[in-house]
Amino acid sequence: MSATPVMMSEDRRSLTVRLTWLQYIIAVLFSALAIAFWVFQIVQHQKFSQMAEENHLRRLPLPAPRGVLFDRNGKVLVDNRSTFNIALVREQTRNLDETLRQLARATGADEATMRETVNRRRREPSYRPIVLIENAMPEQWFAVAARNLPGIIYQPVPTRKYPSSELAAHVFGYVGEVTEAQLASNEYGVEPGAVVGHAGVEKALNKYLMGKDGTKEVIVNSLGREINVMREEAPTEGRGVQLTIDADVQRAAEDGFTASTFNGAAVVLDPRNGEVLAFTSRPAYDPNAFAAGIDRATWGALNTDELKPLQNRALQGRYSPGSTFKMAVGLAGLEEGIITPSTTFFCPGGQTFYGRFFKCHKKEGHGTVDLRKAIEQSCDVYFYNVGNMLGVDRINKWATLFGLGVKSNIDLPNEVTGLIPSTAWKKTTREPKWYAGETISVAIGQGQVSVTPVSLAVYAATLGNGGVRITPHILRSIYEGTEWKPVPAPGPQSVVEVTPEKLQAIRDGMWNVVNSPSGTGRRARIDGKDVCGKTGTAQVISNQGRLAARTTKNLRDHGWFVFFAPRDNPEIAGVVFAEHGVHSANAAQITRHILDTYFAKKDGRPLPPPPTTEQMRLDLTDPMARRAPIGEN
Amino acid sequence: MFERRLFFHVDWILLVAVLLLAALGVAMIYSTTYVRLPDGSGHAGREFWIQLYALAIGGIALLVCLTIDYRFLAEHSLFLYAGLLGLLVFVLIAGDSAMGAQRWIALGPFKFQPSEFARMSLALILAMFFGENRRGARNTSDLVIGGIFVIVLFALIVKQPDLGSAMTLLPVFLGVAYLAGLRLRLLAIAAAIAILLAPIAWKYGLKDYQKSRIVIFIDPGQDPRGAGYQPIQARVTVGSGGLKGKGFMQGTQGQYKFLPVAHNDFIFSVLAEEFGFLGVLGALGLYLFVILRSLEAARLAKDRIGAYLVGGIISGFTFQVIYNITMSAGLAPVKGLTLPLMSYGGSSMIATLAAFGLILNVRMRRFTN
Repeated sequence: MSATPVMMSEDRRSLTVRLTWLQYIIAVLFSALAIAFWVFQIVQHQKFSQMAEENHLRRLPLPAPRGVLFDRNGKVLVDNRSTFNIALVREQTRNLDETLRQLARATGADEATMRETVNRRRREPSYRPIVLIENAMPEQWFAVAARNLPGIIYQPVPTRKYPSSELAAHVFGYVGEVTEAQLASNEYGVEPGAVVGHAGVEKALNKYLMGKDGTKEVIVNSLGREINVMREEAPTEGRGVQLTIDADVQRAAEDGFTASTFNGAAVVLDPRNGEVLAFTSRPAYDPNAFAAGIDRATWGALNTDELKPLQNRALQGRYSPGSTFKMAVGLAGLEEGIITPSTTFFCPGGQTFYGRFFKCHKKEGHGTVDLRKAIEQSCDVYFYNVGNMLGVDRINKWATLFGLGVKSNIDLPNEVTGLIPSTAWKKTTREPKWYAGETISVAIGQGQVSVTPVSLAVYAATLGNGGVRITPHILRSIYEGTEWKPVPAPGPQSVVEVTPEKLQAIRDGMWNVVNSPSGTGRRARIDGKDVCGKTGTAQVISNQGRLAARTTKNLRDHGWFVFFAPRDNPEIAGVVFAEHGVHSANAAQITRHILDTYFAKKDGRPLPPPPTTEQMRLDLTDPMARRAPIGEN
Repeated sequence: MFERRLFFHVDWILLVAVLLLAALGVAMIYSTTYVRLPDGSGHAGREFWIQLYALAIGGIALLVCLTIDYRFLAEHSLFLYAGLLGLLVFVLIAGDSAMGAQRWIALGPFKFQPSEFARMSLALILAMFFGENRRGARNTSDLVIGGIFVIVLFALIVKQPDLGSAMTLLPVFLGVAYLAGLRLRLLAIAAAIAILLAPIAWKYGLKDYQKSRIVIFIDPGQDPRGAGYQPIQARVTVGSGGLKGKGFMQGTQGQYKFLPVAHNDFIFSVLAEEFGFLGVLGALGLYLFVILRSLEAARLAKDRIGAYLVGGIISGFTFQVIYNITMSAGLAPVKGLTLPLMSYGGSSMIATLAAFGLILNVRMRRFTN
């Protein structure tokens, strides 16, 4: 083997130069690398840090239960239960179409609807679960679990529970997913998918009832599998709210309607402070159907039902008050100096005004009647005369002072106002002039007069308490985490200056209505309780029209009963409106059960059992047989 | 053959720096492959132990390569080269395949990857060829002959297919040729030809997945969940480390597997994540030190064969280090190129330590005849 060639000096010099160059180049390259890492790790650290967090941290909402609703005695009215949702986490699915197909097959849910839901929310982050089946049945979940579908999860969610179903449904309202419109107006300041109140107390008190959703921060790996829980912020339940409702009185009102077979509304107040003891509108709906996400068919049926179960009749129904209006006319006559309690008119069964004959409901006439008797027997002729002397504007003034034709400002949403005509109002309509003849009908609560049941309840309470137009309200106190904090009752809307003796004459008349043998509201009588009241019948259609249309149920008259009790220092007042109830006596019968329950509870007696339809002794006779049509010669 | 006094000429500083890098690699492999059990406990992964065994075997290989005079090895480099060719052909015919490539020879429970030893073998034969040759590499015909040694190996490795490993042969050749006096004008012409041939290579030479890697590298946002995923996640991993890092085993990108093959191709990304910019500077500094110190060995070499041998080995090593670290920051297309000394891989570790044995060998024998 030849000797290894030894380097010549020339070679070595050239090698050294080349090695030095190589070392410099490598040093420069390493410096460039260091600069690149400096840019990423120091300059852009924030950005990449956030991206790394988004990679492995997932924030999942933990829905908060809504606050529990209690009645005035602490009885639970509305509660929460756990239901289970089947939801889809898109980032964990392998084949979305196939997963949905399998899910539909396993659960019987509609594939197209689910696909639409997924499509609607496709812009949300893919790790956020999309609820596909709300309130899933255990069988559905077992069927899903058996198929082992990736990305399908089962979430427990707190869901509103209304233990008595339709009881006071219009008070409670209902909850549902926040709508697009509400999101746009940021009414509640919530995220898509949040559950908010849409009607009734659920809506009006949403800010108290809605809890604060918690969050769960979990670490997931690159496959989306949960590895560890980083932080868990428990949801905060909404605040408990105590309502002024008395569950027993509420139940009595509902039972009374059920037994009577009528629809309608009832509002029962404490005339001393405006607390609402019972509030119902019938027919109602089952708020539970909304709580777990209402299906389209049920929602459609509720909306197209011609009985309008979603309408809150007590706040949104406008009806003729009929004879319940007569106290306003009588009081106006007294206060305006037109009559005294002892002023009499002769009722021969009708009277002619402005060339038209107006009949009294009693064909044979009431004879000579004073104010007390006129209220007791609801003599139309008496009030025709008083009204005629007053004129429509003075009737309007006093009716309005007692809360008719204006909002009661109850703390429930969507109240409407009725209408008490006046010459000023008439000018706003197309017909330019108020005719004196129109006042005659107004004097007995017919013609263009319309009221809401809640405003009649305020009217009854104001008559009962001596002129304080209380503000009806339903919120009593709020649980502030450690203790109940009473919510101050809203002050009265106004206080009417009335002469006590004059108002007393009206109240005497109302006492007679219930307690005199010839009163029209005898059915509401309760021994020893001095119930005062007034009946009223609102014609749905003129008798002429009735004859033309032939009788069907929804053309029957409405029955009213307004009341307060006891006569002196009343503690309960209100109204019962029996829709198509034919006779006001039927409304008085429902009232009796409410009052009987109230006083039994107060006196510590056993509560009366729910009445049967037979016990209601409903009077369904055709009123035409007894009453002459108004406005006919 | 081994004289006791040679022991005093061993470059202990270089050896320590090399072993430090290897230890750092083992630590990062421990971190990224640690097995966490559902009950909260855990244990070191299989890869950690394999790497430790490889380190031990590599130490022996280093000693062997240190002990035998490099000139003896260079003189027999043709046999070594021929032996390697044989192994590579064997791999193609009867090798073990994994992940769509046939690169390994099964040795009982272990798998041996002959291509990892190609650089060392090539450096030896080229150092011999250019070192024996009086004219060095100034002549085009010499370059062509040297090039043939490269192309044969290159072709066999590309066929596996393993373009990444094959590419590392080029810097070995360039390194030796450069030190042997390659005219820079020739280098420029070669580069021009390469650029002109690139479109043809693009059309016929590259597989679809290779093309997509390059396209995605240029615009990772094009397919963030697919082929663009790795460069993006590499940057996120590195960038989220910050100055001081998230702490040993506290990273999220590597630990939760958002970055694939974190213990292998992307081990430097995880180092950047867990030890931050300071850790990066430390590791880069160690690598730079090892490279510059090795080049000093070339400068001190007794003969041209020694100088060229060190130059070839260290060129391949440097290319691989720079490419992998650039890739680990998401700044180069993803290739199956590991980070020598740190990445998981037994054959790579053994081959790299053996190569450093040769470098130490050259320096140690600078005074001998």
